[in-house]
Amino acid sequence: MFGNFSLNRSNGRSTVPQVSKPAVSPISKSASRTTTADSQVWKPALQQILILIALAPAILFLTGCNKSNNTAQAPAAGSPQSAAAPAPSPGQQFVIGMSQCNLGEPWRVQMNADIKAAADKHPELKVIFKNAANDTLQQRAQVEEFVSAKVNLIIISPKEAQPLTEPVAEAIQAGIPVIVLDRKLLGTNYTCFIGADNKKIGKAAGEWIVKTLGGKGNVVELMGLQTSTPGQDRHSGFAEAIAGTDIKVIFSADMQWLEPNARQEMESALSRFDHIDLVYAHNDDGAHGAYLAAQAAGRDKQMKFVGIDALPQEGVAYVRQGILSATFQYPTGGAQAIDTALKVLHGEQVPKEITLGTRLFTKDNVDQGGEAVGN
Amino acid sequence: MTASPNAETQRSAANSGNALSRAVGSPGGRAFLALVFVLILGAIFNGDGAFFKFGTHRDTLREASVYGILACGMTPIIISGGIDLSVGSVLALTAVCSAMMAIHWNWSGWLVAPLSLLVGAACGLASGLVTARLVVQPFIATLSMMVLARGLAKYASGGMKVSTAIANPDGTYRYVDVPPLFRMVDHRILGGNLSVVTVIFAVCVALAWLLMGKHCWGRYLYAIGGNEEATRFSGVPVVLVKTLAYVFCGMYAAVAGICEAAQEQQGDPEAGVGYELMAIAMVVIGGTSLMGGRGGIGLTLLGVLTIGYLDKILSINAVPEAGRLMLTGVIIVVAVLTQRRKRT
Repeated sequence: MFGNFSLNRSNGRSTVPQVSKPAVSPISKSASRTTTADSQVWKPALQQILILIALAPAILFLTGCNKSNNTAQAPAAGSPQSAAAPAPSPGQQFVIGMSQCNLGEPWRVQMNADIKAAADKHPELKVIFKNAANDTLQQRAQVEEFVSAKVNLIIISPKEAQPLTEPVAEAIQAGIPVIVLDRKLLGTNYTCFIGADNKKIGKAAGEWIVKTLGGKGNVVELMGLQTSTPGQDRHSGFAEAIAGTDIKVIFSADMQWLEPNARQEMESALSRFDHIDLVYAHNDDGAHGAYLAAQAAGRDKQMKFVGIDALPQEGVAYVRQGILSATFQYPTGGAQAIDTALKVLHGEQVPKEITLGTRLFTKDNVDQGGEAVGN
Repeated sequence: MTASPNAETQRSAANSGNALSRAVGSPGGRAFLALVFVLILGAIFNGDGAFFKFGTHRDTLREASVYGILACGMTPIIISGGIDLSVGSVLALTAVCSAMMAIHWNWSGWLVAPLSLLVGAACGLASGLVTARLVVQPFIATLSMMVLARGLAKYASGGMKVSTAIANPDGTYRYVDVPPLFRMVDHRILGGNLSVVTVIFAVCVALAWLLMGKHCWGRYLYAIGGNEEATRFSGVPVVLVKTLAYVFCGMYAAVAGICEAAQEQQGDPEAGVGYELMAIAMVVIGGTSLMGGRGGIGLTLLGVLTIGYLDKILSINAVPEAGRLMLTGVIIVVAVLTQRRKRT
């Protein structure tokens, strides 16, 4: 079979145009018929068509994939692409447009799931989910689509502040309230901002670590990407909490939120230091990677592991399995967004900014859903 | 056709130059020198003696193994004058697939491993056919496979990590054990002195070395990399040989995917981002030419060790991220420049 392929190909390279080519689409066949003299003439065209054909499934699949992702998150939302203008009849049905900056991170998948779960409790709410796939301009277009579709309210978790401030301001001008989730915009031209404070979470983790270790011990800090605000805040909050105690950070490394990196850095820390009391990782993936490294070295029982994020199937599961001693929740704010949305839609006053508290999960309280700390 | 004779003369000139120069002047000698240089750096900046502990070297070999397997798979393609950008995504796809089969569906490792290899081979076959049969540039063909396989990985996993916490329909979670396949791969043998992942890497190197050095497939790849047109006219089934190189690379990416999933104890659809560049850097730093026709698995092994040790040394010294990236960039460029001198 392959032999035949190569035979055809070498024939095609000769000066005689080879018309009967198997396994090529009708388009390229007709392309080869229209040219008569030289195979070199139609070859570039054929090549371009083939490149397009090769790329088409990838493009089609990706758009299809986004679609199916969205509908999986929000079966109630119907077809997310056909955001037709709903009849804005207050008191009966509200349409909320939700623009998520990217669904590549489990935490953001969880945010959409939280919003959907909260919205499902209110039959008068219909949420249209859109995923900007980490593309600022696409997210901008989504906000504009929501405005022209005249939805009743927009929830946006923006990818970045500067380019999305203006589109949100235009939505406000068009009379559509906007709730901003997780990342801030510039200025105050929105209805309400809901987000957590990473510095507070880092501080709560630091305070818990001071208490647990009795104010003394060797700690390894595995940091999230230090060019990102969450990574910086989770570090500075922690540093603030341990300042003045006898807790020493003996090894710190930037593991960029990635589990394999955390495992490698932890292996370096283990081979350098014989005495480690606790590992503080800026996310649960990092703490899990550190645990695996310590386990491979047979030292996992000598130290504690603390993470942040507390997603149900990650950090909380690790606590339940006894891998992590503690994890601190970085709340998605999905449920609060729907609560606030309902208030706004019913004409009630809402605060301009809602800072979400964190919850601590340990083996003792994980079955009760954790406890609120550091607020 | 016009460019080919030039390439041929260049190649023969380079060959005669190599024959005259001393052993140190050979590509292998130069790659070895780069590795020795990095090891000397490690001995100087030894992180309070951590570099002299046996465990550090065992960990280095384990950490470099996943990249090394990818680099071994990539070498035949690069020797044939192609490139494969899809290995990182194929790794993620097979990591997700193997985790789903092994953890969620509780299938036996004897079934999971071959099926995962099949997934990798299918991805390789697709990019191979598009490249070799449909004559799309390998950069474009494998770029689309990179996007496609990443999408497939996210689709199959639903965007979440496939871990031992399995969601029930009612929103609660049930927990299962890490499957025996993953336990076995992420295990150590010989009294805890050798990681199984490293053994898998060694087997991959040996197999690739045999195929490249002792089988006509390897010779054909060098010939295609040197002058594809001439190889075609001398009756070599070029399309078959090139397609097989991509299938081979896809299967190696699948092996790396299983190793990655085993070490993380989960299938992460975001795994392997940027691994293809790491693998290419390892191949190139060994001395295999991106133009094709020159290189070998032994050189790639030296490249893997060089970059693997460089990473480890920067890590045990807790060098900040910015310095790490700058140093890595400088050292890669220096190593490649050293390699290039052999052409003159």
